[in-house]
Amino acid sequence: MHMADALISTPVALGAGIVATTLLGVAGYKVNKEKGINSRIVPLMGVLGAFVFAAQMINFTIPGTGSSGHIIGGVLLAAFLGPWAAFLTIASVLIIQCLVFADGGLLALGCNIINMGAMSTLVAYPLIFRPLTRNCQSTPRLLCASIVACLVGIEAGACCVTAETELSGITALPTGTFLALMTGIHLAIGLGEGLATGAIISFVVKSRPDLLATAVSDSAEPRGSLKKVLIGFGVAALLIGGVLAIFASAYPDGLEWSIQQLTGSTELPAHPDKVAGVLQHVQSATSVMPDYDSSFSGIIGAVMVVILVWSVTSLLTAGRRHKTVRQ
Amino acid sequence: MNGLEKAYLTLQRLEQRNSAGTPAIDAGVGIAVSVVYLAAMLSVPMGRFSMLIWFALYPIIAAAIAGIGFGRILVKSLYIVPLVALIGIFNPIYDKEAAFCIGKVTVSRGWLSFASIILRGMMAMQCILILIEEYGFTGICHALRRMGIPAFLTDQLQFVYRYMSVLLLEALSMRRAAEARGYGRRNYPVKLWGTMTGQLFLRTIDRSERINRAMQARGFEGTLPELHRGAHHRPGTGSIIYGILMCAGILALRLYDVSGVFGYFAGR
Repeated sequence: MHMADALISTPVALGAGIVATTLLGVAGYKVNKEKGINSRIVPLMGVLGAFVFAAQMINFTIPGTGSSGHIIGGVLLAAFLGPWAAFLTIASVLIIQCLVFADGGLLALGCNIINMGAMSTLVAYPLIFRPLTRNCQSTPRLLCASIVACLVGIEAGACCVTAETELSGITALPTGTFLALMTGIHLAIGLGEGLATGAIISFVVKSRPDLLATAVSDSAEPRGSLKKVLIGFGVAALLIGGVLAIFASAYPDGLEWSIQQLTGSTELPAHPDKVAGVLQHVQSATSVMPDYDSSFSGIIGAVMVVILVWSVTSLLTAGRRHKTVRQ
Repeated sequence: MNGLEKAYLTLQRLEQRNSAGTPAIDAGVGIAVSVVYLAAMLSVPMGRFSMLIWFALYPIIAAAIAGIGFGRILVKSLYIVPLVALIGIFNPIYDKEAAFCIGKVTVSRGWLSFASIILRGMMAMQCILILIEEYGFTGICHALRRMGIPAFLTDQLQFVYRYMSVLLLEALSMRRAAEARGYGRRNYPVKLWGTMTGQLFLRTIDRSERINRAMQARGFEGTLPELHRGAHHRPGTGSIIYGILMCAGILALRLYDVSGVFGYFAGR
């Protein structure tokens, strides 16, 4: 689900970057306030981040499919660290994946932190996993809670990817079709992630039951909060709305249908008002996909210049690289 | 070579690169120029392919200044192509309006935007790869700290990075042991995988407790000190001039249609 820079526009990247930075700031404040920066949480977060990275390299068999998958780790980390510390840790892993392994774009980092970090640790864990496992650490219950939480976290992330790509105007694919593709693919991934998360949590709970209990009691919040229920319904509404959009997108909506009945077309005629004309002009000037240019000879020229500069710099640096290798 | 070994070797290579010497350009300036480049390049409208292609110059110049072979960077950046092509491949199907003609061949807007997505992906990837190769992860973390990124985040990044290679080695030895006794089995059923990874998790927790005690014994007070590069380090004049020239050049490419001028003269 790592988004590349090519899939987003600059305004969307900046918007997501601001949201992700704010969330990171809140997470830093919460972790400092709740746990104290001198506590064992600092190395624990660091080493667990490294654990998630290492665990991602070990594959498991997805039952009934013949394929294999690996863990992503958001819900797992949240179960042992609490949501905010887990969010910081997942964000660190994503930053390292971007800066060390070029996995995911630098400008798309904000989007990736929201899609893969915030959705699993700040949405799926507190709204799904914790309410489902409260005061009960039986293996079937932990497994079910992990599967549901991971599915919700990953599907919410897939919805965010769709929204960010569509807002950027990158794909010509209709929103409904794109959303159906993304949620469909991630359904299997979420199931695998849920099974793997459940397997690890069940094992750890059997071996060291204190670990999970400590994390849960550290980050406990009042039970039955109306705000949480409302947020939960909001997320559910967004997901259901997204799924329904698949069926609705091919047909005119209520307003368009009404216009079609009146005028015979879903489009309204151009407004004669001057202000409307000016606004249309502004809209066309700021549009993400304005007219395509056709200066083909310019493209050829640019390609030639790029090849030329590459050749010249390769010649200039060849001796230098050779010297470095010999050293 | 499996993913674990590849990741471990990449980390080792970056560590060697990081300790090889001071890079020509200050890391903070390098990061700032990269961000300006990515923002300017990605803000080019999808159809302005002729404007976009000029941005391919920056990775070539930056690689040359850093003493990195661009060919290797170009090959590595090809890894991103299947990922972005997956999203972009629908554009030629849905957008068949003609953009321009080359002789008798009509190029549709969909194909043009598809090519644009691929090119953007490769150039963005090249920019990040050069940044990593030039400064290494520790250098980037120090620069981020100097740029005002809070210590809790940069420390966290350094912790994860430091213990990544340690845990990769542990995971590698577990995998080797499983392979040696698994008669060629490459993946494991979820239950067995859960036990294996759970063991790794428990070892991780124990290790973090040992690290915590060792750090507290050595006077750790919540933030890591700046190690070998001073906290008050300032970029040199050469780095500042490089940054100004690069940013000016990138913004000029974004604001003026160089291809249009080129095409005008070529047409004459």
